[in-house]
Amino acid sequence: MSIASNEARCTSCHVGYGWKDASFDHTDMTRIDCLVCHDTTGTYKKTPTAAGMPDPEVDLVNVAKNVGPTSRRSCGECHFNGGGGEAVKHADLSRQLLEPERNCDVHMGGYDFQCTECHRTRNHKIAGRSSSVPVVEGSFSCEECHTGSPHHGDDLLDHHLNKHCQTIACNTCHAPVYAKCKPTKVFWDWSKAGDKERKPKKDKYGMPDYNWKKGEFRWKESAKPVYTWDSGFSKRVFLGDKVDWRSGPVNISEPVGSINDPNSRIAPFKIMEGVQAVDAEHDYLLVPHLFPRDKEDTTAYWKHRDWQKSFTDGMKAADLKYSGKYEWTTSQMYWRVEHEVMPAESALSCVQCHASLQSERTCDRCHQDNREVDFKKIAHKGTDFSYMASRGRDVSHLVGTTDYIGFKALGYKGDPIIHGGRFKKLPMGYKVEK
Amino acid sequence: MSKKSFIVLLLFLVMGLSGGLVALHPESPGSPAAHAAAAAAPPAPETPASTWTAPDQVAALERAKETVPFVDAVMDECKLCRQMRLRETGLGTKDIKHSYFVLNSPIINAVEDHYGPVRFMHSKHAAQIQDCAMCHHFRPLGADASETTRCSACHQEAFRKDHPERIGLKAAYHQQCMECHRDMNQGPVDCIGCHNKNVPEHKDKIQLAANPTPFEVTEECLRCHKAAGQDMLKTAHWLLKGPSPFTLGHRKEVEIGKATIATNNF
Repeated sequence: MSIASNEARCTSCHVGYGWKDASFDHTDMTRIDCLVCHDTTGTYKKTPTAAGMPDPEVDLVNVAKNVGPTSRRSCGECHFNGGGGEAVKHADLSRQLLEPERNCDVHMGGYDFQCTECHRTRNHKIAGRSSSVPVVEGSFSCEECHTGSPHHGDDLLDHHLNKHCQTIACNTCHAPVYAKCKPTKVFWDWSKAGDKERKPKKDKYGMPDYNWKKGEFRWKESAKPVYTWDSGFSKRVFLGDKVDWRSGPVNISEPVGSINDPNSRIAPFKIMEGVQAVDAEHDYLLVPHLFPRDKEDTTAYWKHRDWQKSFTDGMKAADLKYSGKYEWTTSQMYWRVEHEVMPAESALSCVQCHASLQSERTCDRCHQDNREVDFKKIAHKGTDFSYMASRGRDVSHLVGTTDYIGFKALGYKGDPIIHGGRFKKLPMGYKVEK
Repeated sequence: MSKKSFIVLLLFLVMGLSGGLVALHPESPGSPAAHAAAAAAPPAPETPASTWTAPDQVAALERAKETVPFVDAVMDECKLCRQMRLRETGLGTKDIKHSYFVLNSPIINAVEDHYGPVRFMHSKHAAQIQDCAMCHHFRPLGADASETTRCSACHQEAFRKDHPERIGLKAAYHQQCMECHRDMNQGPVDCIGCHNKNVPEHKDKIQLAANPTPFEVTEECLRCHKAAGQDMLKTAHWLLKGPSPFTLGHRKEVEIGKATIATNNF
């Protein structure tokens, strides 16, 4: 899916006025929409289908007289609604973050962080990396504030937790489920679109499973992430890239990482699964023309429900050849879970991953001394999901489980406490302190 | 700090923590009430003001409002003596009462207020530096006095006649933070590295006729913020494309984004 040929709808989330087709002048400063980011009144709105133009009802003078710094509200105006609705794309971004519970996101709910306090901005370039889009105007990480040894206490548990930081990303423990504040879309089948007769059914979260314009969906709330090695780099499929769609899902974006790379760490991801169109001869993903340009539009899918016309037009706008033959393929995108960081007391407990610590012997497997330490208590410190389940979150199936991140799938022989860590000898590039 | 006030603070901390453990959601997510609440989230002018608060931040802002009695006399000891003595006492991160402060003292704000308050991660700094005496470089003289008092106990208004040797609180903060950050080659040393700039009132600055076009509003912004406009033209939010330094095979490219060849399955 792409902006090309659908500008008038997609650019309602552009910081400009009037990007309705490829002729938009990106050098014209008067087309910049200052207000969408700097409004503090909460009254500024763009018309969803007018290429970024404001709703005519908005009192522009009042908004202009009350400009100020950006906020969760102004950033969220677009970023909470990626993919056409709240939390649809970004599992961990929704309107819940306007006034979040502390347990939902400790930075925003506990400490009232605004977006740019982490996403530092210089010259209107905004730091932050997403696993979903390639553009990066500056990086930052949890460690920049919290350091590479963020567990501040001085006991054995802190020592072990700090050592974990070399192998796992912070959110592996500190954001153990994603979309816990609002269900996110995890599956979207475009091939089922077009049936105006089909009545959408609501799932257990109250979310619809169908929309004739878009196809079939599945949603998840408080979902367990997929864990994989991540070096911070991504592989991506771009428009025009040949894809091997016949032998399995096309990974549009996926992290690059390996258990053998000392710079890779285990990180949590939402995997977005899709069914979308591919050119059966050119073997690249297709761009549909969805949103009608005007009343005379003869090709838009959302008007005519004809994929053939839609792809012909969309691919022309994307400046790519279309063979005229399309097939449906499965696709996947990896979205790293970056927000919804929970307070320390709600991070995963040791036993949640290390099955060996569920048995009678725990830390005393190695620490064979007579110190007055309650090892069992330490191993169970953190969440076991029962509290979240008791508050109505959809996590009761996770209570009492172990091997949460799946050691074997990550390349370990099993629980590293029993089978050893990833390096039998120190590899090149290994640093004790990061 | 007296024992009594320590207990009060401890109680406050415990209350703050348990207050932080409140419900994730009062309703089940699919309930009509939850949906109605979500739909009503943006506060329209006619809806009553929100009662939402961020508990840790509120507690820190309350602490920032407190002023403590001025410490007149401090114990005279050399820095090394103090470091050694504190190490002997076993003082460490476990003794930290507040891991987080907002530096927003009325002492400073009374003079000028161009920049927002500073978030200060107390425990993090203590854990990194491993030396309380680096910042808590003196203690009050009294035998029962706390080893670690607030900066604002000794540093208050600048140029006090009775203590010309003491720098004011604002200078103390800036000297302590920036010099250490420079020495350690770590941490910000520029204004906006720690502060947000307060945006001045724009009510009297904006000169617009009634019912302007959006373009006229932008021109009015650009009247003063032309450089910001020029910056904006080079950004990803404007171009929807930009550098892709973390994408394999495309690390040197600067034109990839949704406006060009990026795609997804949404």
